[in-house]
Amino acid sequence: MWRVTLKGLLAHKLRLALTALAIVLGVGFVAGTYVLTDTIDATFSRLFTQVSKGLDVEVRSKEKFGGNQGDQRRPMPAALRDRIARVPGVRAAEGGVSGYAQMVGRDGKAVTTGGAPTLGISIATTPELRQAVTLRSGAYPSGPGQVVVDKRTASKEGFKPGDRIRVLFQGPPREFTVSGVVGFGDADNLAGATLAGFDLATAQDVLARKGVFDGIDVVAADGVGPETLRDRVSAAVGPSYEALTGEQYAEENAKAIGQFTGIINTALLAFAFIALFVGSFIIVNTFSIILAQRSRELALLRCMGASRRQLMASVLAEAGLVGLVASVAGLGAGILIALGLQSAFDALGLGLPSTLVQIRTRTVVVALLVGVVVTLLASVMPALRATRVPPVAAVQDAALPVAAGTGWRRVAAGTVLAAGGVALLLLGLFGDAGNALATVAAGAVVVFLGVAVLSPLVARPLSRVLGWPFARWAGEPGRLARRNAMRIPRRTASTAAALMIGLALVSMVTIMAASLKASFTGTLERTVAAEYILSGPAAGQTGFSPEVVRRIAREPGIEAAAGVRSGTFKLDGRDRTLQGVDPVAYDRAIRTETTSGSLADLARGGVAIREDVAKERGLKVGDTLPMAFPVGGSDPRPVRAIYEDNEFNGSYLLPLADFQRHYADQLDLFAFVKAEPGTPPAASRAAIDRVVAGFPGVQVRDQAEFKREQAQQIDQILVLFYVLLALAVVIAFIGIINTLALSVLERVREIGLLRAVGMTRGQLRAMIRWEAVIISVLGAVLGLAVGVFFGWTVVGSLDDEGITEFVLPVGTLLAMVAAAGAVGVVSAILPGRRAARLDVLRAIASE
Amino acid sequence: MGEEAARAVGISKVYGSGDTAVRALDEVSVGFPSGRFTAVMGPSGSGKSTLLHCMAGLDRVTSGEVWIGDTELSGLNDRRLTLLRRERIGFVFQAFNLVPTLTAAENVELPLAIAGTRPERGWRDRVVGEFGLAKRLGHRPTELSGGEQQRVAVARALLSRPTIVFADEPTGNLDSRTSAELLGFMRRSVDEFGQTIVMVTHDPTAAGYADRALFLADGRIVHEMADPTADRVLDHLKRLDGEDLDGGEPDSGEPDSGGRDDGESEG
Repeated sequence: MWRVTLKGLLAHKLRLALTALAIVLGVGFVAGTYVLTDTIDATFSRLFTQVSKGLDVEVRSKEKFGGNQGDQRRPMPAALRDRIARVPGVRAAEGGVSGYAQMVGRDGKAVTTGGAPTLGISIATTPELRQAVTLRSGAYPSGPGQVVVDKRTASKEGFKPGDRIRVLFQGPPREFTVSGVVGFGDADNLAGATLAGFDLATAQDVLARKGVFDGIDVVAADGVGPETLRDRVSAAVGPSYEALTGEQYAEENAKAIGQFTGIINTALLAFAFIALFVGSFIIVNTFSIILAQRSRELALLRCMGASRRQLMASVLAEAGLVGLVASVAGLGAGILIALGLQSAFDALGLGLPSTLVQIRTRTVVVALLVGVVVTLLASVMPALRATRVPPVAAVQDAALPVAAGTGWRRVAAGTVLAAGGVALLLLGLFGDAGNALATVAAGAVVVFLGVAVLSPLVARPLSRVLGWPFARWAGEPGRLARRNAMRIPRRTASTAAALMIGLALVSMVTIMAASLKASFTGTLERTVAAEYILSGPAAGQTGFSPEVVRRIAREPGIEAAAGVRSGTFKLDGRDRTLQGVDPVAYDRAIRTETTSGSLADLARGGVAIREDVAKERGLKVGDTLPMAFPVGGSDPRPVRAIYEDNEFNGSYLLPLADFQRHYADQLDLFAFVKAEPGTPPAASRAAIDRVVAGFPGVQVRDQAEFKREQAQQIDQILVLFYVLLALAVVIAFIGIINTLALSVLERVREIGLLRAVGMTRGQLRAMIRWEAVIISVLGAVLGLAVGVFFGWTVVGSLDDEGITEFVLPVGTLLAMVAAAGAVGVVSAILPGRRAARLDVLRAIASE
Repeated sequence: MGEEAARAVGISKVYGSGDTAVRALDEVSVGFPSGRFTAVMGPSGSGKSTLLHCMAGLDRVTSGEVWIGDTELSGLNDRRLTLLRRERIGFVFQAFNLVPTLTAAENVELPLAIAGTRPERGWRDRVVGEFGLAKRLGHRPTELSGGEQQRVAVARALLSRPTIVFADEPTGNLDSRTSAELLGFMRRSVDEFGQTIVMVTHDPTAAGYADRALFLADGRIVHEMADPTADRVLDHLKRLDGEDLDGGEPDSGEPDSGGRDDGESEG
């Protein structure tokens, strides 16, 4: 039996090659994801080990506040350092600070990152602690006029020791002389962040940390172990602070990165799963066709006494072998993909230190297992069907597969699946499912399966409709193409179903993006009274000095300039995000509908909360909210106003006076500027530009520009989704190529006949081309139907998140159908060429 | 008899090269007069099918000239050859003559449809009527009997009024009664429509329907028989080769029909 299996494989190796390609791509995606995220993890782990070199014990505030720039902790009083220095076994204890510092390049523009922080830090003076920062040239900074910069920034901007550079802070910008260039071990920067290093006193001054430290680094005396010292220090500093060893510190940092890469890993694996899911349709289809073509051979084996079980084992062994070979190839492909991505990261300047590519045993096992299991699962149905062949079929003249029975069982199964999937989807979107995302994903998968099961029922009528233009205008090849597409509905349907999945997801994200844009534009117009919106170099990620708003407010023709700061506080022990604003200016720039109280009252101090928060906690104006802040700790604030959601206020508004007391960093993330009525736009814009000229990196946009930019950002994310989904679509088209190629093989004699009675090669290619187009467009139409439904439900469920409008980008969606047809044309090239090359005589003569 | 619908001038067909070369046709020259029914006979491997394929433009000769009417085939590219097949040649094969997705009517009209033209209504109805297919036109090939399928194939071959129809063992898969029926139809299309037909067969009974029989052996025409009858053909085959030929046995159940001499009426 084994020999038969192997022979069968070899005989069909070409037909299986394309199937294998579907697995190779899917498994490659899986393996590549693991290798990439493992490599990033390993790289960071090494980087953090380097950065904590020489550090025996780290002391910091215990309580942390999550924020968009990483965890924030309450700064510690400088006196704590002295107390630690007196702990027996401490050789040195040195305080350190870090904060916002953005360098300005020679071109006068702020040096930006791809979203990584722009860090200012104090450089330690203790020799042991200095090891973390490796001097590449020049000297460490000393005195208020000196700065060291990271190697990557130095190379990019052409900074060298002796140069004068400008650096932006929370307060006014300042000029420094570059004293040296630094790296971190063999890394040129800290994972994409730019770094400006100062001596401690200067850093405390410019980073708004006067008299406080963010962390205290401790070096142990000879013979004192880090753990011992940690415990002693811990006892000395008291319960508000915590001490951890350098090793723990590095591990903790690595773990934080691990959480981040874990999210990337999960997201990429989700797309890999989609690719494999689509690939499994290709496998089902290919095995169905190949086994149908081999039904006589299988029947002959049955005649010779092979049991059904033996046939089944043989067929599954064949599938398993294909899966294994393809998985091994996929593993290789994945490693190559990961290497490619890593060099892409390098080219983008993320500056990861060179670390060996991480190929873990887990990666190998998962990749191989996934590939083999998916192939096996997908081949079970075709195998069951094929091995049901009666022995007598060997002597009967039934070489061609018959059309699928479209029985009630298919209708029932498909309907149950589709309905169940929709139910899961709705439960995940609107219900109270434990893991909403997983429920939605499972629902989508089940819906796809249901539609795939039902699709053979509609494949024939839909092909008839979609093929009509070809039959009408493309002559006999068009008519024959339509007939061929209608010929075996199950085959046409499962080929189209693979494309359906990809297109459903693509159209869904397209609809979501369009709805998001429309909702955002609507919200902006309704809510923002200000004409101008200012943001930092990476909008919403990096802030800018509040000095900007202060100065703009003083310019003529400006009615109000309102900065928005973001901070994290604790409510019942959980992190919440608030916005710090000047209530008076903010109220002029942003329209807020209050249900009780007013923002003007907020100027007295207190907090304004959103309606739903008030309702949830049963709060009304005059009640107090038990807030706890990074600086100053617990400080219950009276509720001054309750407002309706307007997508800009967030859940909590804190007046600036309170914000300044409770947060170390005072940076505006956004600012809204409203001109005085009657001021010509050119004048108000000029006034703002005058101020901003002194703060490189601050971006000014009017409402139209802002809308356009937000739309662009949405489009960028959309493109990312397109790229990630592209593989699923590519695999679907491989499926179309495969099906057509197999059909050509199956129809050799028919093709010979057509050629003999006068069909030209061109007409033959046209026939296959139009069949491909009909199948592709069928898949696209099914996909669009499912995608529009998904998009509609998802957008509906995001009403609370501010996606209030549902937009059908009809033009784009139709373009997708057209594109699917166009790619259908392309996928018909190879099968068409193969058919056209068939020797007429041999085609007629072949049995 | 007038001009020739097709002729071969010194055609040879060699498969392979060097020591393994096989000469399937060896300097064959033959003409196929218009409006006549020619049977090509010979043992397996004699080159009779090769001759047909070369004459029909399905295969290319190694040397020599093939003429269909006044067109010489060796100079034609694939496209011209295809158009020639479409417009001037009709085909009937032993099996698998029909496109399974098309109805009988669509199969009959297939070459014209491929050419993008419509059949002349009266002519189509006459051919279809003649072949007794009027009631079967809406059926798919799988719903037709073997004899009906072959009749559809012959009707298709005739519909474009080709210069010549080539039939390759058209009765090879039929029982003797259906064979006789089909051959009768073919005979009538020669007699009534003046169609030129060349038929390869190994069945002496089938050859008996023809006006003339050509005998091939080892790639050469070794004998030509005017107004063949089944018995004379069988006798000749026995003389040609002492051993029992595969063509001998299948139609033994129909001793009488082979003796017909319908071909005379056309002469």
